[in-house]
Formats: sequence, C-alpha cells, structure tokens
Amino acid sequence: MSFDVALIVDSIPKMLMGLGLTLQLLILSAVLGLLLATVLLLMRISGKWYLDLPAQAYIYVFRGTPILVQIFIVYYGFPQLGFIRDSFLWPILREPFGCAVVALSLNTGAYVSEILRGGVLGVDRGLHEAGSALGLSAHQRFIYITTPLAVRLAIPAYSNDVVSLMKSTALASTITLLDMMGIARTIVAETYAPYEIFISLAVIYLIMTWFIQKAFGVFERFMSRHERQ
Amino acid sequence: MSALTGWWDDFFWGSVVVGQVFFVSLILMVVFGLIGAAAKLSKSRVAQRIADAYTVVFRGTPELLVLLLIYFGSAVTLTAIAQLFDPSVKFVDIPPFWAGSFSIALIVGSYATETFRGAFMGVNPGHIEAARALGLSSVQTFFYVRIPEMWRLALPPFGNHMLSLIKDTALISIIGLNETLFAAEQAIGATGKPFTMYIVVGCIYLGFSTIITLTVMALEKYANRHLERAR
Repeated sequence: MSFDVALIVDSIPKMLMGLGLTLQLLILSAVLGLLLATVLLLMRISGKWYLDLPAQAYIYVFRGTPILVQIFIVYYGFPQLGFIRDSFLWPILREPFGCAVVALSLNTGAYVSEILRGGVLGVDRGLHEAGSALGLSAHQRFIYITTPLAVRLAIPAYSNDVVSLMKSTALASTITLLDMMGIARTIVAETYAPYEIFISLAVIYLIMTWFIQKAFGVFERFMSRHERQ
Repeated sequence: MSALTGWWDDFFWGSVVVGQVFFVSLILMVVFGLIGAAAKLSKSRVAQRIADAYTVVFRGTPELLVLLLIYFGSAVTLTAIAQLFDPSVKFVDIPPFWAGSFSIALIVGSYATETFRGAFMGVNPGHIEAARALGLSSVQTFFYVRIPEMWRLALPPFGNHMLSLIKDTALISIIGLNETLFAAEQAIGATGKPFTMYIVVGCIYLGFSTIITLTVMALEKYANRHLERAR
C-alpha cells in the first residue's frame, strides 16, 4: 500500500485523452436536451391537454427511471426492435457514441423542461398585465417579457443540471466508450491502483464542475446587469 | 411477454435487493446529512471547512467514480491488510451491498447536508423568540417548534433526495450487486431479448419512484395540515 506518484503523473495525460469525448458528450447532449426541453415546455404551457399530457407522461417516465437503465435500453435494447434497425436513425444508434448522446439528451431534456417551466411560472403576473396594457400581443409578451426573465430565473437550477449531465457522461464508460472514466477504468484494471487513478480523475471532474459553475455565474450576472446600480 | 416466463422471481428478488439498499442508504444518508449540516452550522472553523469540502467533492464528481473508488479502494486496502496475516489471500472486499449503500448514501448525503442546513436556517426567528418568551426550555423549543417547522421546509427537497437514492441503486449492479439490472443481464443471456428485459427494469424503478412520490405527497399534506384552512 503506497501512493504511487509516478503512476499519477503517467496516467493523467492518458485520462485527459478522453476529455475530448467527455466534452463532446456533454455539449452535444446539453444542446439537444435543451431543444427537447423547449419543445416539452411549450407543450406543457400550451394549455391544450393533448399536448400537455404526453409531455407530462414523458417527463414522469424519464425522471422516474435511472439514467443507466435508459442508456442500456437505447444501447442494448433498441437493436432487438426490427423497425429501429430499418429506420434512418440506425446509423446513429449502431454506435455507442450515438446511443450515449441520445440517452443523455432524452434524460436531460425531461429535467431541463421542468427547470424552464419553473422559470416561466416565476415571472411576475403584473409584468404580463403591463405588457398587454401596452398593447403587446401574446406572442410578443412571450418573447420580450417572459423569455428573458424566465431564462434569468432558471440559470442557477440549469447550471446544476449541466453539472449533473457532466457527471452522467461518466456512465458512457458502461457501454464501451473510452471517455475519461472509461480510460481510468482500463488503467485501474491493468495496474490495480484505484486510489491513485480515481482520485486524480475526481480532481479533473471537480475542476470541470467549478468551471461550469463559474461560467453560468458570469452569464447570470450578465442577464441581471440592469439590476446593478 | 412470454419471454418473461420463468424470470419473474429473479426480477422480484432483484427488486427486494433494491428496496433493501434503499432503506439502508436512506438511514445512512440522513445520518451523513445531519452530521454535515451540524458541522456547517457549528462555530468550529475546522468542522465548517471539512463539511464544505464534503459537499463540494461529492456534488462535483460522478456517482460512478465515487462508487468505484470506494469499492475497489476498500478492496485493495483490505486485501493488503489480509495479506499481512495470510500471504495466500488473493482478494478481500466489502460486499457490494454495503460498499454500494455506503457510497450512494455518502453522495446523496452531501445534497441532504444543504437541505437540512437550509431548513434549519429557514425557521422563522420570531417563532423561536415567541417560544422562549412563552417559557419553553431550549430543548422544548427545539422539539416542539424548530423540528416541526424544519420538517415542513425540508420535505420537498428530501423527497427528491429519496428519488436520487432509488435511481442510484441501479449503479451498484456495476460492482456486481444482484439487483434488477443484474437479473435482466442474466435473463438477456438466456432469452436474447434485451429490450424487453430492460423495459421491465425501467417499470420496476418507475414503480419505486411512484411509491416514493406518493408517500412524500401524503407526508407534505400531513406536515401542512394546520395551514389547510388558511388557504
């Protein structure tokens, strides 16, 4: 039992080779998830039951099951279904990377839509009334009043969700992808030095978490710039 | 559906294991959360720093990483200790059930630390002063005024922590715990129907989540029963 510093120095560059893949998973899923979340949000606040109910059911299912099970359903489960193998999505779902992005986006979309909805519901009613008194249409009110305020209200919760999405990308290592986590697990399997490798990797993830939180902090300050005197 | 014949009992016992992990980790999570919150609220600088480090580290690293570190880390340490006494020993580990329950409790406990701390600070100071003015001792104030009010504030986020716990139990199959995902893998090996089997696992977890959500809703209703008429 000793703490092997040389091994750490040796393996950090190896693990950082997976950083690109981790970031690709994070950014792609975050963007696709946000698009999906926006669609779900619009369905939720449309006031039409035939749009609202399916969105609610979707959110309920994806927030009620573990992301690991969702990844396994997409990666191992979908190839069982003939119509998916014949569909245009097959080139994406044949690759573990595509499966990971699909599963992560579907999952984060459900969480983010609820965050956005919280932001929309948090916008003061009086501002809406002021908007209609000034003669803005419902569309204009949504774009010029609701959206900027809701975005600002949603930033803190959204930044937490991006952090948890980043943590979920580590699960891509369970479907053979060599992201940072996947590389670390390979090194541990060879060297049997879990402390050295996993603690160094934890530090890398902590730095990423810190960076995400700082970046959203800057964005939030930008969105509330009118409040500074 | 016919593919599932003969596998229902495996899924049932897998679900029992999920339930057991959930209860063990729930108790540990509350313990970790209370210790963390007490440390953050204490006057000791050292305790505050340690609790801060705890919440930053466990909220900022992937759950899977924490789980693998604790399981394989403890196994390496225990094996090294065992080999001091008996060099022929190859591998000693903490059973995945306990290593896993401990890990997910440690992770979710870091979130619970903030919840408990926030609930403690959220109690209206005027209510505490009123209780003291009425002559309640500090112990009475704590149990009759502070705890009921904290409980009401902490319940909604605490419900989310319970949902995180139940979903994190799925990760423990990665270190070899015989729960529902593990049962699904065996069933897939025999039947070659991964979609069917993983959907069953998903439905089991959805069932657990639903039970937790309904329980928390009922508890919230009970905690807020005195506010019912005011609304």
